[in-house]
Amino acid sequence: MKFPKTIAHLKAGQLAKISGYATEEIPVKLYELGLLPGSKIILKKRLPFGGPLCIQMTENKNLIALRKSEALSLLIETA
Amino acid sequence: MNGKKVALIGNPNVGKSSLFNLLTGLRQKVGNYPGMTVEKKIGFFSNGSFKYQLIDLPGTYGIYPTSLDEQVVTDVLSDPAHPQHPDLGIVVGTPDNLKRAILLYQQVRELGIPALFVVNMMDEAKKIGINIDFVELEKTLGTKVIATDARNGNGLNELKNALEAEVESYTFNYQIPENFSEKINFIQNRFSFETDYRAWQALAQNNVRHFSPDTQREIEQFRQQEKIISKRLQVKETIDRYGLIESQLDKIVLRTPNNRKSFTEKLDHLLIHPFWGYIIFSALLLLMFQAVFAWSGPFMDFIDESFAWLTGTVSALLPPGPINGLLTDGVIAGIGGILIFVPQIVILFLFISIMEESGYMSRVVYLMDRWLKPFGLSGKSAVPLMSGAACAIPAVMSARNIENDKERLITILVTPFMTCAARLPIYVVIISLIIPDKTFQGINLQGLTLFGMYVLGVAGALGSAWLLKKIIKSNFKSYLIMEMPVYKLPVWRNVLLTVWEKSLGFVVGAGKVILAISVILWVLGSFGMGEKFNNAEQIVTAQNPEMDEVELENEITSYQLEHSFLGYMGRAIEPVIEPLGYDWKMGIGLISSFAAREVFVGTMATVYSLGDTEDDLTIRERMAKEINPNTGKPAYNFASGISLLLFYAFAMQCMSTIAIVRKETDSWKWTFIQMFFMTGLAYVTALIAYQFLK
Repeated sequence: MKFPKTIAHLKAGQLAKISGYATEEIPVKLYELGLLPGSKIILKKRLPFGGPLCIQMTENKNLIALRKSEALSLLIETA
Repeated sequence: MNGKKVALIGNPNVGKSSLFNLLTGLRQKVGNYPGMTVEKKIGFFSNGSFKYQLIDLPGTYGIYPTSLDEQVVTDVLSDPAHPQHPDLGIVVGTPDNLKRAILLYQQVRELGIPALFVVNMMDEAKKIGINIDFVELEKTLGTKVIATDARNGNGLNELKNALEAEVESYTFNYQIPENFSEKINFIQNRFSFETDYRAWQALAQNNVRHFSPDTQREIEQFRQQEKIISKRLQVKETIDRYGLIESQLDKIVLRTPNNRKSFTEKLDHLLIHPFWGYIIFSALLLLMFQAVFAWSGPFMDFIDESFAWLTGTVSALLPPGPINGLLTDGVIAGIGGILIFVPQIVILFLFISIMEESGYMSRVVYLMDRWLKPFGLSGKSAVPLMSGAACAIPAVMSARNIENDKERLITILVTPFMTCAARLPIYVVIISLIIPDKTFQGINLQGLTLFGMYVLGVAGALGSAWLLKKIIKSNFKSYLIMEMPVYKLPVWRNVLLTVWEKSLGFVVGAGKVILAISVILWVLGSFGMGEKFNNAEQIVTAQNPEMDEVELENEITSYQLEHSFLGYMGRAIEPVIEPLGYDWKMGIGLISSFAAREVFVGTMATVYSLGDTEDDLTIRERMAKEINPNTGKPAYNFASGISLLLFYAFAMQCMSTIAIVRKETDSWKWTFIQMFFMTGLAYVTALIAYQFLK
């Protein structure tokens, strides 16, 4: 099975490692939060109708909510 | 002398505001940064003989802004001439997020600001299996590190005592990437920056706002010429710093893995569930609406009655005359009109601050973002919009919690469209006059019309939000990247301080405008020129010899109002409102209800010589009989009634809302744009409706 391409393609509960970014046009805040190549994340929950989703970084308990458009710009590989 | 300027700097959700409240208590001054909707919080405290001025800066993750709030942080920190530029920074972090706090700390230090480092919420560390080597941390950061717990005040004295200690000089510096060193050298020499990091900032920041226009232009030219993209510099710096911080933290932070399903996870399973999440949020909104709408009733009645009593007492104590009238009907009534909103403000902010404090509010954003984003609103706008259905004043104030400045501004501008409680008396009276009390398919037509008015309010709000989204420009792209913190029990000190600050802010900040307008309206309604106003008593008595005393008195009051300045203004605007189907008497009602919509019904009662009757039925019967002298038809017929409903649905007929919008936006420009847009829309729709239906 092919592994999903971006965070937006993950299923709830799936673990992945960020491998890069689909575009340069993403807020610097993503980097500042530590969503850097190599960091591991879990997709925790998502909302229907193209709504936001939330991920968790493995090092702390806070969730991070992202819009689908932001999630689509975060490329991933298997963790 | 206000003492040393100290700034609290930190990521969102690290308990910065708790520390702020703990240190300053009630000695806080909350306002806006000049001309912006960004909140400025300053507080004062002392320790022994040392006095401090504490600035609570908006939460941020770094010094490269992605919102106006973050821009303010960058401005304050990088411009030594900024009035809030601190002498000392306190960078606040939490045990589970040290990495992010250290990134910010390094940037603060390298901008040349001495800073302490605070690890807040230390009690959490053990629970989540984190152990921190404080000695090593101090060595790495080159400053004093203080562990605090803002929930119970642990570590607070240590923090206070550390404020006077000499801060170690900072040795670590960001290693400018080699391929940039030449360019940075050039910029540093050209503008004589003290450090190479300052020069790096000049290129990495999209715009350094305190530079002169010439400098800004020159730097921009240099960037274009050298093909430097600021964003890439920002990303490079962030990635470089994190690489280093992570290797340093390996020695400092020890984690014991803890895979127990936490309380937050269990709660989130329900609260942000794709179905139950919305059900629970709707129920909470309904409860909030009910509370603001109904629970405030007894308190508002009490304030109302107290002021009625006060008016009566003062009026009886003083000799009759203009001073008496000014004091009772102008000033005391004006103050009463301000205080009457306090119960609603208190109740709404109890709810909101508990939602914020517990961590639920960020879930609201997450749930609602999809549905409000298309209209240029934030997920958080759901709260102001819903509470706007009770009263726009606390609702507009609650928009302050929205992080993005554009979304906050739009929310403030459209919230007054929601059908507030003050519109109800007018709607009820007019609907009962023009809509038959019949049922259609089992649905009461009057009820249906009232429901339609509520729908119209929502449509007005969302429609204009959509329009404003197209018009208002922002330097920052809209995005949603938001941390949702673990749930916590609210700190009651913070909840109560919020409620206190909001109530006081309203009474003092917006009260001035409200009081001024109510005094002006009183003057206009109580004074007039010429014989007809001054000799009203003789004229009316002579004309109506058969009337009894009460009737006569009501007739005189009505006659005086008709010939007061307000009456003449009603006549003066008649040409403008005639196409809407109103006569000049209704014009008087329109002008006086600028104070507050519900005043319309009362004013019409006075105009129609009913005296101070509170009986809806009497007013309604009298209004039904009124003939519009211009058309010869009933003044409140179907066409003019619908026109009136539309007018009150859209027009900005509330001076208190205007006052609070002025306070919250810190701009007369937006206040007037809102007023003219709303009243203009009201006029046009009422005009079309009347001309179409008459």
